[in-house]
Amino acid sequence: MSDLVQEVRDTFGQWMSDNLTDEFACLKWRGTFGDDEAYPELRKKWEQHLGAAGWIGVGWPEAYGGKGYNLPQMVAFNEEYARYGGPGRSGHIGETLLAPTLIAYGTEVQKQRFLPPILNGTEYWCQGYSEPGAGSDLSNIKTKAWLEGDEWVIEGQKIWTSLAVDADWCFVIARAETGSVGRNGLVFLLVPLVQDNVEIRPITQITGGSEFNEVYYTGARTAKDNILGKVGDGWRIAMALLGFERGASTLGQQMIFANELNEIIKLAKSNGKARDPLIRQRIAKAHAGLRIMRMTALRSLEGTKIGEMTREAYMSKIYWASWHRDLGDLAMDVMGADAEIMKNGEFDALQKTYLFARADTIYGGTNQIQRNIIAERALGMPKEPRGGETVIKG
Amino acid sequence: MAYPFTDDHNMIREAARGFLQAWYEGGKGPERIYQSGTAYDAAAWKSFAQELGMAGIAIDEEYEGAGLSDLGRVVVMEELGASLCAIPFLTSCGIVTDILQTAGEQIAKNRYLKKIAAGELSDAYCDGHDALRKAVTHVAHAAEADLMVLSRRGEGGMDYFTIAKGTSGLTITPEKTMDPTRSFASVDWSGVSEGDMIPLGYGSEEQHQKLITQSFIALAAECVGGAQACLDMTLEYAGQRVQFGRPIASFQAIKHRCADMFVELEAARSAVYAAAIATPEEKTEAALIAKAYASEAFYKIAGDAIQLHGGIGFTWEYPLHFFFKRARANKSMFGTPENAYASLAETLLGDAA
Repeated sequence: MSDLVQEVRDTFGQWMSDNLTDEFACLKWRGTFGDDEAYPELRKKWEQHLGAAGWIGVGWPEAYGGKGYNLPQMVAFNEEYARYGGPGRSGHIGETLLAPTLIAYGTEVQKQRFLPPILNGTEYWCQGYSEPGAGSDLSNIKTKAWLEGDEWVIEGQKIWTSLAVDADWCFVIARAETGSVGRNGLVFLLVPLVQDNVEIRPITQITGGSEFNEVYYTGARTAKDNILGKVGDGWRIAMALLGFERGASTLGQQMIFANELNEIIKLAKSNGKARDPLIRQRIAKAHAGLRIMRMTALRSLEGTKIGEMTREAYMSKIYWASWHRDLGDLAMDVMGADAEIMKNGEFDALQKTYLFARADTIYGGTNQIQRNIIAERALGMPKEPRGGETVIKG
Repeated sequence: MAYPFTDDHNMIREAARGFLQAWYEGGKGPERIYQSGTAYDAAAWKSFAQELGMAGIAIDEEYEGAGLSDLGRVVVMEELGASLCAIPFLTSCGIVTDILQTAGEQIAKNRYLKKIAAGELSDAYCDGHDALRKAVTHVAHAAEADLMVLSRRGEGGMDYFTIAKGTSGLTITPEKTMDPTRSFASVDWSGVSEGDMIPLGYGSEEQHQKLITQSFIALAAECVGGAQACLDMTLEYAGQRVQFGRPIASFQAIKHRCADMFVELEAARSAVYAAAIATPEEKTEAALIAKAYASEAFYKIAGDAIQLHGGIGFTWEYPLHFFFKRARANKSMFGTPENAYASLAETLLGDAA
């Protein structure tokens, strides 16, 4: 391991140990999968605390206020954050999705306007991609946008918008050319959420929580300059943004998974399930899966630039999502009959993991879509015929 | 080839692949071995070990090897898995090399390691378990080995010794196996006198367990190579086979099965590479995971490959069956996946009792 990487581990690890204390101590391990609604205000305060110390955007170029960390340093940073039980990052959509996209495609003015509030934890973002008719088939966007004077007007409905309730801004893909279909004629707009013509309706999930929302844009407005690229660039930019999603943060996610597995192991030891030979096999396999995920991430990241994908990287999403769903099942089987009981009338951490893991194999591309992507992009198999190209005979 | 390999590894891979694919000859190689009735190709071993210099890949440079340890072996074993070449690299350049390097007395090292590195010896290893047991079955490459290394539990640990071929009281009986491309034999030395057991070295029980477990990595790499070959054959076949007016590779049922094969293959590869580069403290755990995961993945992928080939996959003429048979053999060789996960569970959860 290089000195620079060790330095990140030492410095940031020490900072986490010194700072995730006092008023922030209750945030340890909170706000992660299925627990996104825990302490929203305190977690924003924590973001500002991180930002003030310079720990937001560490992978951004120094010119934009980052530290210019390379991938091994990013891996170390994310692992240290999770090792100390750092809470789910309220600002991750702005920091890890929008910011790299802005840096790649934004104008200098846009960068100067939008990057600093992400860096200091004062502005929060959400992602306006999916619509009721555009889920897996994302290019079937119906939301419309048109220019009126100095403003874009947006009309349409988005759905599954994570964390919209706590967000100040949303990046929205919309159709700006009348009559265009599929990937053509789309725009990538930056839209303020706090305005009269935006309505956010939380969706209650099977966890009882509502991280996801419906967002209605009924003549919503944003300034003419709040477009990334030009009309017609929307699809390309939207896809580039998704490429930033699969990065070093997966290593941090794995530390959270490891912590969940540890909780299951502790429980199995205390309630006697640790003596069940089948449970033992499943716990051992879950542990093996974690080691495999880590090596896969290292193989995918090493030697690539942020945003690039190696062949093996295509298996990462379906692998971790399926692993995590299985972990949820294992958690319930280790709890046994107690899995049915809601102590204190609420889901406990393992019950939340179990329920929330059902979303893992759906959001960000379902397992079925992942298999299509693997077959077509990693294995070079023929593309799926699209609607209208095949005739189904009765 | 990307992380964790270097240019040295890439060169070795290319050389090994060129030779081994020529040997494989689209499946004719394994068939020739089956026809010969002996799962050992002496000429191929000589070329591979001596001319290509592959036998010393994991032997220290001090003994004229390449000093590339587990990762170097992994590269060669992947290529061996993709060709099913009937040579004793797995034992000769694996466990025997490691035992001699780690536990061998200086005299044994001097006598054997350079010869192994030069490709002049082929070796087998026979785990005698305890001193009273003097007959073992399922010993890979025992029939053709020039040097057979045996182990047995002694007073203070493990003793390693050898018995020369032809020694009175030693019987080596080749076994007929479902997988016809790797030779196995039973070894019985109950009639060998103590004086004919030539000591090679000794070590602690703990060290012995580490060596044995580390040797799983090479077998796991072979599984990855075999599984890759099965997936490659399947993709090629599915791209050519036309039914209902289109290549079957365009059907989602086929694509999704291939995608699952790819996920399992790459996961197995990660398990193997992680084990190859693991620190000494993490080696045992990583090797157990590699063996368990890669052998199960190979078995599943080989089975899927037969299914996706349809009728042709079930014929003897088509070489898939050799991989399917090797995959099944590898699952139970050196202990089953269940055994490996059970050991892992001991570390994670303590004793089952």
